[in-house]
Amino acid sequence: MKRSHLAAAAAAVLVLASAACSGEGGGADGPIKVGSINGITGLFQTPEVPQAVKAVFDEVNAAGGIGGRKLELISKDDAMNPQRSTEAAIELIESEEVVALVGSSSAVDCGLNRATYSNAGIVSVPAIGVDPACFTSPNIAPVNPGPFKLLTAMLYYASETLKHDKVCMFYTTLPGSGGGIDAAIKEWSDLTGKALTVKDTSVGQGDPTPYLVKAKGAGCQAVLYNAQVGPWFAQAKTQGMQDVDFIMGANSYTDANAEVIPEGMNAYAGTEWQPYTDETLPGNDRWARVVDGSKIQKTAFSQGAVMAADVFVQVLKTVKGPITRESVTEAFKTMRPIDYPMVGTPYVFGPGEAHNPIEGSRFVKVQDRKWQVLPEDFIVPGRK
Amino acid sequence: MLNSVVAGLTSGGVYALLGLCVVLTYRLVAVVNFTMAAVGAMGAFVMVSLMDAGLGVWLALPLGVAAGAALSALLGAVLVRWFGDHDERTKAAVTVAVYVAVMAIGLRLFGGTTTGARRFPAPFDTPAFTVGGVVVPQSVLVSLAFAVLITVGVGLLLNRTLVGLRLQALSERPATAEVVGIPAPRLAVGVWAAIGAVTTLVILLVAPRLGGDFSTLGNLIATAFAVAMVGAFRSLPLTLAGGLVLGCLEGLSASLSAIQQYRGVVPFLVIVVLLWWRSRHEVWDTAHSR
Repeated sequence: MKRSHLAAAAAAVLVLASAACSGEGGGADGPIKVGSINGITGLFQTPEVPQAVKAVFDEVNAAGGIGGRKLELISKDDAMNPQRSTEAAIELIESEEVVALVGSSSAVDCGLNRATYSNAGIVSVPAIGVDPACFTSPNIAPVNPGPFKLLTAMLYYASETLKHDKVCMFYTTLPGSGGGIDAAIKEWSDLTGKALTVKDTSVGQGDPTPYLVKAKGAGCQAVLYNAQVGPWFAQAKTQGMQDVDFIMGANSYTDANAEVIPEGMNAYAGTEWQPYTDETLPGNDRWARVVDGSKIQKTAFSQGAVMAADVFVQVLKTVKGPITRESVTEAFKTMRPIDYPMVGTPYVFGPGEAHNPIEGSRFVKVQDRKWQVLPEDFIVPGRK
Repeated sequence: MLNSVVAGLTSGGVYALLGLCVVLTYRLVAVVNFTMAAVGAMGAFVMVSLMDAGLGVWLALPLGVAAGAALSALLGAVLVRWFGDHDERTKAAVTVAVYVAVMAIGLRLFGGTTTGARRFPAPFDTPAFTVGGVVVPQSVLVSLAFAVLITVGVGLLLNRTLVGLRLQALSERPATAEVVGIPAPRLAVGVWAAIGAVTTLVILLVAPRLGGDFSTLGNLIATAFAVAMVGAFRSLPLTLAGGLVLGCLEGLSASLSAIQQYRGVVPFLVIVVLLWWRSRHEVWDTAHSR
């Protein structure tokens, strides 16, 4: 036992030491190496994300690269496996000597690797920040609003745009996200002076009927919901809840889910980027061109990928002198806000200890088993 | 609160069905089958995939059921052929391994919780009657009727027919059964196929209530075991009751804010409490020799 502790400590020292020594981030004239950790296999699958990042890099490379150097993406699949995610981060930073992480999309990366990124002085710009740690770490700033800012926007939409007094919340929560949820609700309460009629964060698997009956009994006019879609709406229809506005998070905004919502139900979803189902929306034209050109699956996730890559390239172009891990990190920490048309607020990394630059959400509604984009622009809480 | 209990009770039928499938398998082939729900989900997803491809429901349904039956028969054949002489623990371990494999394949084929949600036909969706504030659809009555049918039908099959007698012999003393001339391997594979077919039907029936994607349906095995535990893997009527109890408990726990956070734990609490209750007077060695 003692020996294994010693070995672990020795290994940790080695890792730290090598992290301190290898801040170069590749040679001065080879390709600029960029890493990402993506769920390709496993429960959270986003194969389109590294493909889309690569498509943007290919475009930049075809135009001559950055200062004559090509961009190279090294994507690691972590299969939502903590062990593999940790190894991937160390491998990217130590062996591949990447200058930054761009377009990560893993459900476990931020929470596990935030300290590694801080210690190595490297920034990560995830395409999708999934877990709460993505929004509370000094060296991570995703290009999506994330679950908490999205929740505030959903509440704001329910009470201010749809003008409901009785707003209820039926959520399934990940361990450790309770505080973030409470903070999001408080932000909404402070802005609107309203409070939730029902807050239930215990929704899990199993028959949703008891929850629906509870919502019906409490007279909920709007129900925020983030768990399994099919059974919830099938049973809500059975319970005759056609007059309730159900508002879901971005995770439910998929074609498959629109298909399973029965006719007559009011189902909304708050999206993180311009709804991907309408390519005429601002910013979506560029995204559609990129993913179409490389025949990549059109999902919201691939929007995040294109945005993360675009933001990175834009910041990279401001770097004076050689492009190294240090200069890239410095550039992100001192960058000017970038107005990106696919989101509600400008993207900025900045020096702080926590980053959640993108706020607001645009809403879609199911009509005839398809998502329809609603006419209101991005709903950013507190912005008139 | 009463409404929540009633709401929970309406899901009792589907929980009972899941538990009955487990007990059924155990009674007939003496295997604790971890793959049950995953195999049923495979059959169910074959059916909805065929329907998405444009096939009519009356063609897709038998094909889906046949797929579930075939997969189950394949598993049965493996168990009979290679693990026939092994004890229950080994067979259960084999089904755990197969469960992991089937889940991984299903996830690849049919997608995860958000991208793989499918619409399952819900022909019994229309309200039957209303209790308090709870609308009870026909599907609740259909599930309960199906559960009773399995309970009574399998009970009769086992106790009153020659096939039943042979199946019992096969389940309890497979080697002896073969010695006295029961065509054990063929009969066993046939039973596995029938179990696969019934399980697929059950999964199709519970899907509109409990889950529309592959992993959720495949993982219903945990709930199924909790329910089966009430009947000690033997008693079909007690298993039926167990489903109703579990539904009630879930409804109750959803209505009491003090315990609602722990709603998901209910099935496991049921398992633990029942294991303790059953073993309170047992003597080691005899009690655990089945």
